[in-house]
Amino acid sequence: MTALEHFVVAAEPYYRPVGNEVAVFEAAYRHRLPVMLKGPTGCGKTRFLEYMAWRLRRPLITVAAHEDMTAADLVGRFLLVPGETVWHDGPLTLAARGGAICYIDEIVEARQDTTVVIHPLTDARRVLPLEKKNELVAAHADFQIVISYNPGYQSAVKDLKESTKQRFVGIDFFYPEADVEAEIVARESGAGAALAATLVEIGRRSRNLRGQGLEEGASTRMLIHAGRLALAGLGLEAAARAAVVLPLTDDAELREALGGAIAACLE
Amino acid sequence: MMATEAAAAPRLLAALRGRAGLDPLAQTAWGAVVAQGDAAGAARWADAVLALLHANAGAACLGAMLRLRGPAAALAEAAEHATDICRHAGAAPTIACLDTWDRLRVGGLWPGFCRLAREAPDVLAPATANAAAIVGAVGGEGFADFVALGLKAAGRDKARRAAFFALTSKLARQALAQGAGAGFSAHERLLKLFGTALWGRVPALRPLPAAPGRPPPRRASLSDGVVLLPESFPGVPQAAQGAVFRATVAHALAHLMAGAPRQPVGTLKPLQLVLVGLIEDARVEALALRRFPGLRRLWAPFHVAPPEGGTIPALLARLARALFDPDYQDSHGFVAKGRALMAAAAPFDPAASRRIGGLLGNDLGQMRLQFNARTHVIEPAYRDDGLGLWDFGERAETPPELLDLMVEAARLRQEAGEGGADTAGTGADTARARPAAAAHADGTVLARYPEWDRAQGVERPEWTCVRDVPARLGDARQVATALDAAPDLRRRIDRLVRAARPGRPRRLKRQPDGMELDMDAVLDAEVARAAGELPGEHVYRGSALCNRDLATVVLVDVSASTGDGGVLETERVAVALLAEAMARLGDPFALMAFASDGREQVRLTRIKDFAEPFAVATQARLAGLTPGLSTRLGAALRHAGADLAGVRSYRRLVLVLTDGEPSDIDVPDPADLVEDSRRAVLGLRARGIDAFAVVLGTAGADTAARMFGRSGHVALRRLEDLPARLSDLYFRLTRR
Repeated sequence: MTALEHFVVAAEPYYRPVGNEVAVFEAAYRHRLPVMLKGPTGCGKTRFLEYMAWRLRRPLITVAAHEDMTAADLVGRFLLVPGETVWHDGPLTLAARGGAICYIDEIVEARQDTTVVIHPLTDARRVLPLEKKNELVAAHADFQIVISYNPGYQSAVKDLKESTKQRFVGIDFFYPEADVEAEIVARESGAGAALAATLVEIGRRSRNLRGQGLEEGASTRMLIHAGRLALAGLGLEAAARAAVVLPLTDDAELREALGGAIAACLE
Repeated sequence: MMATEAAAAPRLLAALRGRAGLDPLAQTAWGAVVAQGDAAGAARWADAVLALLHANAGAACLGAMLRLRGPAAALAEAAEHATDICRHAGAAPTIACLDTWDRLRVGGLWPGFCRLAREAPDVLAPATANAAAIVGAVGGEGFADFVALGLKAAGRDKARRAAFFALTSKLARQALAQGAGAGFSAHERLLKLFGTALWGRVPALRPLPAAPGRPPPRRASLSDGVVLLPESFPGVPQAAQGAVFRATVAHALAHLMAGAPRQPVGTLKPLQLVLVGLIEDARVEALALRRFPGLRRLWAPFHVAPPEGGTIPALLARLARALFDPDYQDSHGFVAKGRALMAAAAPFDPAASRRIGGLLGNDLGQMRLQFNARTHVIEPAYRDDGLGLWDFGERAETPPELLDLMVEAARLRQEAGEGGADTAGTGADTARARPAAAAHADGTVLARYPEWDRAQGVERPEWTCVRDVPARLGDARQVATALDAAPDLRRRIDRLVRAARPGRPRRLKRQPDGMELDMDAVLDAEVARAAGELPGEHVYRGSALCNRDLATVVLVDVSASTGDGGVLETERVAVALLAEAMARLGDPFALMAFASDGREQVRLTRIKDFAEPFAVATQARLAGLTPGLSTRLGAALRHAGADLAGVRSYRRLVLVLTDGEPSDIDVPDPADLVEDSRRAVLGLRARGIDAFAVVLGTAGADTAARMFGRSGHVALRRLEDLPARLSDLYFRLTRR
């Protein structure tokens, strides 16, 4: 358990439930069912999971998936010390042995043949075979696996295998309703209610351009950043430009259009 | 400097000394110029006027020059240009030029005048007379371009030249309507994005066409959800056009957001219509400002009416400003009443606009002021003409000025309907017209191809004749609108494109050399060494660029059956999406549509060749496709293969989009054509060209399997899936 100590979420993270996601997650955890968090970037998936880990008092091990990730990066590998090779558990093995929640962020970024290593852990077997070591790790009773998944990335090239998808319980995230989002922005950035409401209105404008040149609209996280900049003394228009418009697009016309729409939201 | 000043001025004054009329003028003019304290400018002025004198300008011309007042530098420039004009065209046109410049005070006039003086002095008179109108439409900077256009278009034809500068020729009117710069089209994308961001859905923006025999439209118009915009706003400088367009779109969207239905005109008079429109404008703006307070900054610069002036246009402008700007002070009873009525009304009630407008109209009527409905132009410039509010219906007795408005509104509505709706109507027309057209335009013979005779088991050489039929041009905007309607799909394809784009390095494991160690390979080698085996040497990681080298011909079936149930419409969108993706990937591709009318008439329409970019012209051809005739697939496949044979690519692909099995009027048994197509596919494969079919509907699935093989086709049960699946499929087929 000592290896997992620093993965424990000590203080309660701020999370504002927007639906029944807490209840769904708790029910899934009761039976240790694997969970899939879906939703656009910056809408609170990771925060939600931190909150749930705190609530359930489980350590949380996070792995950011990427294209070059191999199965060994998840499971572990032999490393060299002078004269011999020593096995090092990967994050997945660590979590499975110690009973942590293993969170694989943006799982579609990893190649499909990598992600299949989680299969034996996600069905009734709940085991992790370490082929190189000839060992079968039986998952700890508290172990749970959670993945996140941005449905926008769904494509023929980057998609989960059907056999992977069907192992998970899904929880859908989206940008919350305007008043709830304003509450979150206010709480996280320290902005007043009126400023937060304006920021959310700005966010809505950018989300309207989704698919019209913008891949995604401004995330809640972006709006929080804009709020912090505004509170740091930057004008709201400048803050929105720095935190929202410029990061979102390089297209000059799109910037101008978005800038115009944002200006329309400001007094 | 002082020396030059001293030298030039006395020389000018000395030259004019004693000339009756000019001497005192020169003295006063010189005094006015010197008084500005710009010694260099004054000297330049004196030099320039002296030069004008030496150019034999004559007393009248010099007098006109000396009467001008203004900054010395500007006057000197005028004198220099006047000298130039005078040398080439004589004194009388020079006076006209000076007068025109004095009236308009736009520096951009001079290059145009000078060019005309040199190349076409005969049209200086109409050009100076119409300069105000020209500058009003194209801006001062555009004047020289307008002149250049006129000279170029007319060539040596003096009559045409005269007509152009008299503004009676069609080209001149077009140029004026288009206005400064590229007009609406230069702003279109920005406006669309701006509207989308504000409103949450893509606004339908269309250019407002000028009606033949009428002046170009000056204001936007709303017509059943479509925003019609003029090519430019006359009288607005080029740099400010963008701001007017944006304010106009924001205003139009305010109307659409407030969403009042058309109202019957009833017995309202033109002035009342205008007033109700004005009140409604104020109402929707107030509603929009509640949600988007920043729009005030967009609209405020246009409300500049001062609280004075008693004519109807002045009173209307004052009322508009009073309703818009709470800080505006105006004590006129009419304006105050309008404000009070508006403040008392419920903002969400469209009927209030009509009531208030009617009341104010009565008041205005009692003031017995002149109102000319024909020449009235809505102010401020960003507001629409208000015709979109009204349902003119069909009334027996209509006052003539209302008739004018009605005709205009009906015309706009009709045009917007044609542009916005699908082409089902036009498609049917063309299909009906086709047999006649086909008799005339058989198309150029491209090639003859063999066909397989199933009954005899032989190949009939030169059996079919493939002809190139020129594409009909449709409205490219229609394709763009269809693409806009599928943002999610576009995003998804965008990602596919990015994932597949060449130049993205791919990691290679277990390489014999490289910069980085492949940790797994090193471990294996170490383990092997420890075990006394021979360790592997491939222990490095490397990366390689995956290059795409693929050429595609997309064959689109446009036979008569694609006219049913919007098949062709969907094909169009799917092909446009795919073409967009292929163009962005840089994959060479060609688009062709095919239909047939017997073996002598296999009609191919080239939408895009390999060498062409996928641009507006291509989209217009795509939009112009019309369904008709039959499907002789084999010949089309063979021709696509021949087209691809000339392309140097590692992989070559023919992608067929069809809605069923092949058939033709001169082939009683469709199985013949199925067999022929199968052989055509085999022929392609033998030459290293892949053929793949996307079949719409399940009916043709079995046939497709026969022709293209089990793995060579995909049948789509639902037509709506086509756009998404076609592009997905392309990426799947072309991976690796």
